[in-house]
Amino acid sequence: MERIHVNDSELVSRYIQNGDEHAFETLVRRYKSKVYTTIYLIVKDTYVAEDLLQDTFVKAVDVLRSGKYNDEGKFLPWVLRIAHNMAIDNFRREKRYPNIVFEDGSSVFNTLDFAEDSIEEMQIKNETHNHLRDLIKRLPDSQREVLVMRHYEDMSFQEIADATGVSINTALGRMRYALINLRKMMSKNSPSYDTNLYAE
Amino acid sequence: MIQTFTQNDVIRYVYEETSEEENLLIQDALVHDTEMLEFYLDLVDLKIGLDTSYREPSSRTVDNILAYSRNFASKHQTSA
Repeated sequence: MERIHVNDSELVSRYIQNGDEHAFETLVRRYKSKVYTTIYLIVKDTYVAEDLLQDTFVKAVDVLRSGKYNDEGKFLPWVLRIAHNMAIDNFRREKRYPNIVFEDGSSVFNTLDFAEDSIEEMQIKNETHNHLRDLIKRLPDSQREVLVMRHYEDMSFQEIADATGVSINTALGRMRYALINLRKMMSKNSPSYDTNLYAE
Repeated sequence: MIQTFTQNDVIRYVYEETSEEENLLIQDALVHDTEMLEFYLDLVDLKIGLDTSYREPSSRTVDNILAYSRNFASKHQTSA
């Protein structure tokens, strides 16, 4: 628990200039959930997401310690950009080599390797939140991408449009369908539930 | 002149990407358009759900990250 909120720039500065490990730990603990959730919603595998979270912060350490960090950028968007790129690279690789994934989002291979964590995975505390994440995973790729970039990576719709090579109206349209589809999936118990998802 | 707003505008409004002038017009439109108001309320509800749907990585992964940073520092000092 942080007693006094020190801003990110100050923490980054303490870490780079003084090697303050507590400053780095504060940054990691402050943003681990946000970065991890962003990765997880792209790769859809808890164990791959854990690995990529580690890789993301390892890369961040390398850049920060080597003095190559551009102070003009903010820490969180910068880390999220690293995470996003790693997750997308992994996602594309996995699409070429499809893996078997269980309903809980874990790969069959990872489960075999890390049976202990698989049990942990089953001890899920908040079903509602997990349910929503599961629904996000079911969205078409283009819609999920915009939702994750806007909501979890805090990118503006214009930035998303630029990054994905579409117009801002297309990005907004994908977001709209993503939100409408999520709403539809959430209300599936309703008698008027329409099981079809909007494609785009 | 009657300004009409689309669902895309409401999404931009919820994500705070609209100007102050647009905000006033959209707020006014929401009062008079029940369908749009429902869409807005659904959106706010969803956004709150998304805000609270963060997932926690394992403590082992976090420990590995912190250990990497500590080791990086000691390795650097040794080689210096």
